[in-house]
Amino acid sequence: MSSRSAISVVVLLSAGLLAATEPLTKEQIKGAILSESITIPTPGEFFAALDEQGQPNWTQMFAPKAAGTTSSREQMALMLGVLVADGYIAVEAQDGQGVKNTGKDIINLAKKLNVSQSAISRGNSINDFAENNDWSALREELEATQNEVKLSMAEQKDKDLVILVTVGAWTRGTQVAADFVSKNYTPGLAGLLRQPAIVEYLLAELGEMPERMRKEPLIVEVEQKLRATLDLVHTRDRTPPGPEAVKGVASVMDSLVNEITKGNKEP
Amino acid sequence: MKPLLVFFLSASILSAQDTPDSRDRSTARSKVLELASAFANDGFKIRDGYLSGVLERGKPQILEVNLFSGNAYWFSAAALAPARKLSVTLFDENGRPVEGKDYQDGSTAAAGLIPDASGRYFVRLDLVEGDKADFCLVYSYK
Repeated sequence: MSSRSAISVVVLLSAGLLAATEPLTKEQIKGAILSESITIPTPGEFFAALDEQGQPNWTQMFAPKAAGTTSSREQMALMLGVLVADGYIAVEAQDGQGVKNTGKDIINLAKKLNVSQSAISRGNSINDFAENNDWSALREELEATQNEVKLSMAEQKDKDLVILVTVGAWTRGTQVAADFVSKNYTPGLAGLLRQPAIVEYLLAELGEMPERMRKEPLIVEVEQKLRATLDLVHTRDRTPPGPEAVKGVASVMDSLVNEITKGNKEP
Repeated sequence: MKPLLVFFLSASILSAQDTPDSRDRSTARSKVLELASAFANDGFKIRDGYLSGVLERGKPQILEVNLFSGNAYWFSAAALAPARKLSVTLFDENGRPVEGKDYQDGSTAAAGLIPDASGRYFVRLDLVEGDKADFCLVYSYK
């Protein structure tokens, strides 16, 4: 079936069968599949929703944090995630040079983590798409790069670092979004920050990391700050977080991004 | 060439374990990407991540996702023969079915949603007719 005919059929068959559908049971909800590459949204999805409701000035918001040097692989993985989110911000700002610079930083950091050549070669694709201002392709390429880096980490027995890339990207995305919402508060915008299931997922995955890693001061801090964020966004009945809670999220996430990007605590 | 397609092709070529199962899942993925590309023509971006496996009648696959209000989503699924008919249904965080759009055409199906609240949702994929088969599910947003 061609793409166009599929769209036509979709439009024709848009009536729902809601009344006939039984709700999920508690067991089905509890047993639902959690797959990081699909259960956790990309920063691009977060920013698309922000765009829809708030029209942020992405050019002003694109202020990438220079990543400090570190010998900690855990910190490098977190920094990598932050850089991926920065890439999405640069795409939203339609800043071609910013995308290229961020792509270069991602690949340099990925090399330090010994990821595969196929993941590293994606840096060239990011450059090419940025050269052509192909913003839609860049969003897909950033996610594909992130997934390929994670796959390479998992193949090299670095699977415990994979979740840290996701945490880094989520932290940076939430920091930027919360900062914008705190300065332009509406209940609709604040509702975008109410994602307790994501924070719970990240905390659960961090809890599965080896004890040695969990005792790293930065990882301890990540867990503490994610728990603080969960308290702030876990509202009842899907009500959006209030202005003070949003400010709290912005502050906690800002502090965490600074910790991630500042380099080794013990040089 | 679209990056997603480049990734898909390179992943297929570079796969170290090119087993019959992995080839079937690649075929299911090709099939679902064809469906999802219809939504891409309407401005939807296809996520690189996907869920694949074996789908059996009476054993639905239920996936947890986290969505944002303000975005629009399509969850697309495809299965190979001998699957004949699929359905995709969406539920809110309490497991109640949510109103949206449906698409069904044999062993491909999709469900669309514009969530009124951000947060956790569930996607249920059912094999309605046919026998167990490999499937793939992707989602798109705009």
